[in-house]
Amino acid sequence: MTNRLPFRFFITHPKVLVLEWDGEPNDTMLQKLIEFKKRIIKEFDDVIQITQGYLSLMLFHKIKVQYIEDYKNRLYFLYGLQSRPAVKKVKVWQIPVCYEETYAPDLKSLASKLNLNTTALIEKHVSARYRVYFIGFLPGFLYLNGLAKELEYSRKEKPLSNVPQGSVAIGGKQTGIYSIDSPGGWHIIGKTPYPFFEPHNKKPCFAQTGDSVQFISIAKSEYLQLEMQRLQGTLKISHL
Amino acid sequence: MIEVLHPGIQSSIQDLGRMGHQSLGVPIGGAMDQNAFNLSNRLLNNPLHSAVLEMGFKGPKLLFHKSTTVALTGADMGARLNGHEIPNFTPVEIKEKDLLEFGNAHRGKRTYMAIAGGIQTPEILNSRSQYKGITSDSKLSKTKLIPFDMVKFDSPKGVRISPRISESEEMMILAYKGPDFNLLSEIAKIKLCQNIFSISNKNSRMAYILEEKLSHQISSIWTGPVIPGTVQCTPNGTLIILMRDAQTTGGYPRILQVTDEGLNLLAQKSTKDCFQFQLSAV
Repeated sequence: MTNRLPFRFFITHPKVLVLEWDGEPNDTMLQKLIEFKKRIIKEFDDVIQITQGYLSLMLFHKIKVQYIEDYKNRLYFLYGLQSRPAVKKVKVWQIPVCYEETYAPDLKSLASKLNLNTTALIEKHVSARYRVYFIGFLPGFLYLNGLAKELEYSRKEKPLSNVPQGSVAIGGKQTGIYSIDSPGGWHIIGKTPYPFFEPHNKKPCFAQTGDSVQFISIAKSEYLQLEMQRLQGTLKISHL
Repeated sequence: MIEVLHPGIQSSIQDLGRMGHQSLGVPIGGAMDQNAFNLSNRLLNNPLHSAVLEMGFKGPKLLFHKSTTVALTGADMGARLNGHEIPNFTPVEIKEKDLLEFGNAHRGKRTYMAIAGGIQTPEILNSRSQYKGITSDSKLSKTKLIPFDMVKFDSPKGVRISPRISESEEMMILAYKGPDFNLLSEIAKIKLCQNIFSISNKNSRMAYILEEKLSHQISSIWTGPVIPGTVQCTPNGTLIILMRDAQTTGGYPRILQVTDEGLNLLAQKSTKDCFQFQLSAV
């Protein structure tokens, strides 16, 4: 029975299960995980929340998980259900980023390490669409997939003790936005005035797992304008 | 209000944390030693989730601007009220203008002070637990005011207090197998469960890094969810125990999961303290 589960199943804590898949993360897998997550939340009353990684789900329960074999059977059945063929439209958030020197302390040095000029680096960074695979590391920190191979570069040897909120950076195979002030070792290439974590909001983070993100290069004057709007509470964040 | 004259070394306001927001990357947080936390609230008949003051290593100096009742649990910080020592594990009456001073922690590292009715800082994402980027302050600091309400204190009936003084000396930390435990070699598994480990000076509410390493051959894993108590091992064999303020995802193999009780015990340990992992079935 257990052998037929198409994923690994771990009881890591009396109230916490981990489900894990083999292979490489990709958009199809992401969609599968998101749909499976929704079905579990709907069908299992005891599950209070589910968190996600590249190839894993973590299920938090109100009480100790019991009747394991029965539980596995139900998961097997739920996972096998065909999802509706209708392709759901993916939200694309357009994120303004100022790549000017004031906000991009590492842009020049990273460009030279990558054998690019800064214009080419920015061009490559804004031309891709990045998918939100999950949120972690910091409150509101999006794990974005889709960085161009030519922009990959290992992290700094010495992390900065404080990277300001809004900094847009590249580290290894990833690009990301520091959602709150934090220590960090990625190369900072710009800054967005958009807030990615507002703890006082009902929805602290506007972007969700499964959404897409696109960066748009803006001038410093525009950055300051948007920053002002954010402080005044009139900033509107929209998606395609 | 309580006025903070001196914040101590690692003092913060804590309740049971922010369960339910982890898919946004919000740490669970909450009191490090939840046994001591619960006991402090029970002594005052407070609701379960009431916020208390958690004090690590060396406690603060506090001036009360209103009368209330407090209860101290956890490590013994030799608390003095207007210069006179007061007992732990029992409700203590406080009057306006009283000065409460804490010293160094003995028999454990963290002390909890519950206040009748609970600390009344604003709730953010269902919790008052302080955390950088979520609450306005990430810890107690000088001149800050701690708000509380005047509530009538009814002595709880039938709360039997047995301060488990031996707890801070407990050497065995129970842990379940983590998802990657079985990727360890048989030798590494034996070492993990038989060796004595000690806590390095890199220990905080977020994680404890251990002094001794464990060599292993596990290749890296795809970043996935982690919780407080998850024990990770880095490529060079460094062991990291995630504590209450742990981030919500991690990319190192997860070899053990410390039990809730084990986490409470670890909360009372610090640099150079030794322990052994003992495997437990879930």
